[in-house]
Amino acid sequence: MPTPRHHVIIGSGSAGFGAATTLRARDPDCRISLVTLSSLPFYNRYDLPDIFRGRHDWRDLLPIMPAMYDELGITLRRNSRVVDVNGTAQSVEFAHRETLHYDSLLVCAGGRGYLPEILSDYRPLMHNFASFEAAMEVHTALPKGGTVIMLGGDMLGLDLAFTLLDTGYKVALVTTPQTFWPHRVDDQLRGKLVAALEAKGARVHGDSAPVAVEEGLPGAPARRVILQDGTEISGDVVMPFCGLVPAVEFMLSAGVDIERGLLVRPDLRTTGENIWAAGDVCQIWSDSDKEYRFYHGWRNVREMGELAARNMTGSDEEFVAEDDGRIWLDKGSNICSTFWEH
Amino acid sequence: MKKNANDTDIQIAICGSAGDGTIAAGDILKRAMSLQGYKVIAFDLYPAEIRGFGKCISRIRISSGQTYSLKPQSDALVSLNDPHAIPHVVEVRDYGAVIYEDTPMARIPEGGHISAHVRPAQIPYGLGIRHISEQATGSARSRNIVVLGYMAGLLGMTRDVFHQTIGEKFKTKAPAVAEQNLKAFDAGYDLATRVFRLDTIEIKPPRHTKSGADAVMMTGNGAVVRGFLDAGIDNYFGYPITPATSIMERLTVEMPKTGGRVLQTEDEISAIAATIGAGYTGARTATATSGPGLALMAEMVGLGVMAEVPSVIVVSQRGGPSTGLPTKTEQSDLNMAVFGGAGDAQRIVLAPTNVEGCYKCAGKAFEIAEKFQTPVIVLLDLYLSNRYETVIPPKRNPFLRKPEKKIAVRNGNGAYKRFAATADHVSPRSVPGEPGLMHTVTGLEHNEMGRPSDLPEVHLAMSHKRHKKLKGALNLRGLTLCKRFGDEGEVDVGILGWGSTFGEILEAMYAAQSEGIRCSAMKVVMLSPLPIEQIAAFHDDCGEVLVPELNYEGQFAGLVSGELGRPVTRLSQVTGAPMRVEEILNEVRRLSGKQSPARKTKQQDTGDERALEAGLS
Repeated sequence: MPTPRHHVIIGSGSAGFGAATTLRARDPDCRISLVTLSSLPFYNRYDLPDIFRGRHDWRDLLPIMPAMYDELGITLRRNSRVVDVNGTAQSVEFAHRETLHYDSLLVCAGGRGYLPEILSDYRPLMHNFASFEAAMEVHTALPKGGTVIMLGGDMLGLDLAFTLLDTGYKVALVTTPQTFWPHRVDDQLRGKLVAALEAKGARVHGDSAPVAVEEGLPGAPARRVILQDGTEISGDVVMPFCGLVPAVEFMLSAGVDIERGLLVRPDLRTTGENIWAAGDVCQIWSDSDKEYRFYHGWRNVREMGELAARNMTGSDEEFVAEDDGRIWLDKGSNICSTFWEH
Repeated sequence: MKKNANDTDIQIAICGSAGDGTIAAGDILKRAMSLQGYKVIAFDLYPAEIRGFGKCISRIRISSGQTYSLKPQSDALVSLNDPHAIPHVVEVRDYGAVIYEDTPMARIPEGGHISAHVRPAQIPYGLGIRHISEQATGSARSRNIVVLGYMAGLLGMTRDVFHQTIGEKFKTKAPAVAEQNLKAFDAGYDLATRVFRLDTIEIKPPRHTKSGADAVMMTGNGAVVRGFLDAGIDNYFGYPITPATSIMERLTVEMPKTGGRVLQTEDEISAIAATIGAGYTGARTATATSGPGLALMAEMVGLGVMAEVPSVIVVSQRGGPSTGLPTKTEQSDLNMAVFGGAGDAQRIVLAPTNVEGCYKCAGKAFEIAEKFQTPVIVLLDLYLSNRYETVIPPKRNPFLRKPEKKIAVRNGNGAYKRFAATADHVSPRSVPGEPGLMHTVTGLEHNEMGRPSDLPEVHLAMSHKRHKKLKGALNLRGLTLCKRFGDEGEVDVGILGWGSTFGEILEAMYAAQSEGIRCSAMKVVMLSPLPIEQIAAFHDDCGEVLVPELNYEGQFAGLVSGELGRPVTRLSQVTGAPMRVEEILNEVRRLSGKQSPARKTKQQDTGDERALEAGLS
């Protein structure tokens, strides 16, 4: 009896989870290991702003009950940091000094929040929104009606900003070149979008870049953001939302091509044998643009995971973006984006 | 057992290899929680090998209210050794915690790290236990205390009580030892306070914090020792054997303080012989052993019966036969305790069901032995001997020795009849050296004077006397011989139990009641003579009678059904581990014709629906 193939998926976000379920549907006998840094089973991080609407139990965010992993025969390895991938030996090395061998590897490690160099020293004074735990920490740190100073304001951040404004909090948005990331907007549209944000209640600071984050003064809110022009903005929590950087450090010795992300063909194969990539971690070759491109947004990421899984199990399909990356204002001057559709 | 929202009822399992300090960490945890007024039940499992790499696991149940056994599932598992702990991951409940080393020193084989085994519904907490220990204390030896501190911090336990307990535990060592351990504890604790908790383990304040000051943590064996001391034990003779050895070890420390003597004999035969010899002189004397030791003592127990000499024999059962499973529990020496030996040698056998019962039975055993002039066996098992429970000791000693009545009667011609026939079949007892009360004592059948006789009428009369006198033990005061719990009147299922298994029986009974099954349980402490009238009345009320016990044959079930002449349902198990509540409950459900209630939560429904939508089912 042949040994079942072992598919290892690094990353249990939308792409990784979608890939795992697709693999199981197409290969009932295969072994699937879903590896993640997270302490939790898959939840949709696009739902995290709902924490401010009272969804404080992480179990409410799960799309499937944890027991389903067992039923699907998916081994979920949480709290597991991959430190190296050996493409020759076809193995994954964990920080906890275990080696996991694979027959095929799918990298869906996503991205981590980008922070401009000038602000990197101030990371301890800022909150991120990358996980349920981080989101709950923001919720805890933010007093009722308190102010979030948002640096950048990518589409993930703006989603949170609208929820905060809807639920009685204040948002001070310091715009940067990464505002509205991953959308590229011209000055005219940018002006309209900013105006729409202000109309929703956000206080927008667009004239000067943030250069420092400091503790608040005694008796004042907990944080201050200092802009290049000397302006000081007070708030309770500072959160950078400046887009994502692909998490690829552990792939450096895997023998695959990397630019900013893992470079993949339209069928999501990397240049390494039996290694695939999907989601925010990869740049896909675009014949039309003649360049490797990122495709962000939940629908794209999910489709990439499923497509990679299909190709890992015998298909030969090419990725076609479902999300065309549009941002616009509707008739009510509400900001709309394909990025948020899921 | 009513519970409310403010109740704490959690169970922590700490698992490691021999030498990891697993049992020590568990000991600090249970003492700290007991000190705060929580009820604690704890049980440690350790390997038979004295040194090596065997598995140690300490399970500690911490509750606000009264509980009776360990829970089948723990709320948290702490791993100090992944290969040993991995099989126990499945024992952690959904949304409970698994705490482990996430930066091990050595490379580990594929699948050898516990993170690969944590179930999706459990919460993994990985930390660099060794690294933290080295940073805090300069050594990795305090890994157990680091992880204890982490667990305590994570669950919001009070730091000061742990400090106090650690200080107390290491007070006999150099001050630096306690200091190092406190540093290790704090390092783990501080780290945990920065961790966002995802589990659903809740610890509420104890109901009665005042009782914490009075409460003590005690094992079954510890309670036996306390009972012996309160009863004024004069001599103890013993030979070491697991799991009874700790009785002798403790008595060796305690008895000399009050003028008592402990002698380790060359074997169990000598131990029981010396016990009977000292008992003959009027001294309160005991021995303790396990099944193999009792087998060696059988002949001498017969002498005690025949010569009508009081003695107390504690038997802590372990897996058998032969050397068997020295560090695993079993209840398979019941037949030997009740019947073992030559001839019709009925004796009194008491089987406590919890730690407090161990105290009461051990203390009362001397009085019973003296009153009925016979050996009394107190039958424990490893699970009860080694199990810790929170006990509040009585304010007044219930076992104070009463002054002995002087024998005034000189029968007939003035000769003293040591074995005289009396109304209650108990003869006037004297001890050697009492003027005018000289008599003969022998293992041969004898007449009222004690002189050997093989006349049929003598043997018949004396056999009758030796058996009949024990019936009086069924009217004993000051000790519960059997007791019914749960629903009154007619019930669907009655559970009849003895010994350590009764805690699990009670938990199962309450669970069955909560499912709408009419259920009662009866514990039987007096196994010989058997309180058959009460058991028969219980049987009358029960549609079905279930007898769960940890032996292969269903020895108690056989004893009861033999005496009653009625059938019972046996639930016998020999896994070396305590019986699981769920197994008893399942059998109760089956006998009652009711299946386990389907417990679909709203969330489960939602999850399943989502799965269907996602095309995953």
